[in-house]
Amino acid sequence: MTATLEQLETITADKVIDARGAACPGPLLEAKKAMGSVTVGSTIEIWSTDPVTKTDIGAWSAKVGHDFLGALAADGYDRVFVVRRK
Amino acid sequence: MADPEKLVFMVMHGPEFPEHASIPFVMAAAALASDVEVVMGFQGPGVDLVKMGVAETVHAPEFPPLPKLMADVREMGGKLLVCGPCCKSRSIALDDLVPGAEIVAAGRFIAEITSATSTLNY
Repeated sequence: MTATLEQLETITADKVIDARGAACPGPLLEAKKAMGSVTVGSTIEIWSTDPVTKTDIGAWSAKVGHDFLGALAADGYDRVFVVRRK
Repeated sequence: MADPEKLVFMVMHGPEFPEHASIPFVMAAAALASDVEVVMGFQGPGVDLVKMGVAETVHAPEFPPLPKLMADVREMGGKLLVCGPCCKSRSIALDDLVPGAEIVAAGRFIAEITSATSTLNY
């Protein structure tokens, strides 16, 4: 994780993806799709009710070269933050 | 520049095993989303999964429905290769398969597997 919870709270994402209710690999595929619609340096925020999404997106970000910033717990879902780096 | 990574998923289970049928598509979709080339090979009862209309009958608990997974894999460029003799023994013709599926023989499977980073069997 490259951002503190306090820092995550201050982020306004360039794009928010509501993947709540989607089963694996839905949130990952939504994140991949969203990356194609924002410019390098933009931040996307993925909402997911699947508790493993935050680790999945973290691993995926490391694999493909994006910056995984971390996740915040919200009301019954996680808010996962990633910065497009390529 | 290094060759791109490639994974081959060999699918041997048919619609009577929804979880076994769904997991390789989940993995293939995740691989494609991770910029990894994907080839899916269907042999034995697995060929039934790519017969038109069969995926619509498959939905494993806690997984996306198989038609959604299959559409994701196809949209992201995954190749669907289907065993020729397995099709013949089931009287399945190319026209019976989902669009984009290709009927191949053993030599093509071997070429794909030996040129892949890894092969996973389901």
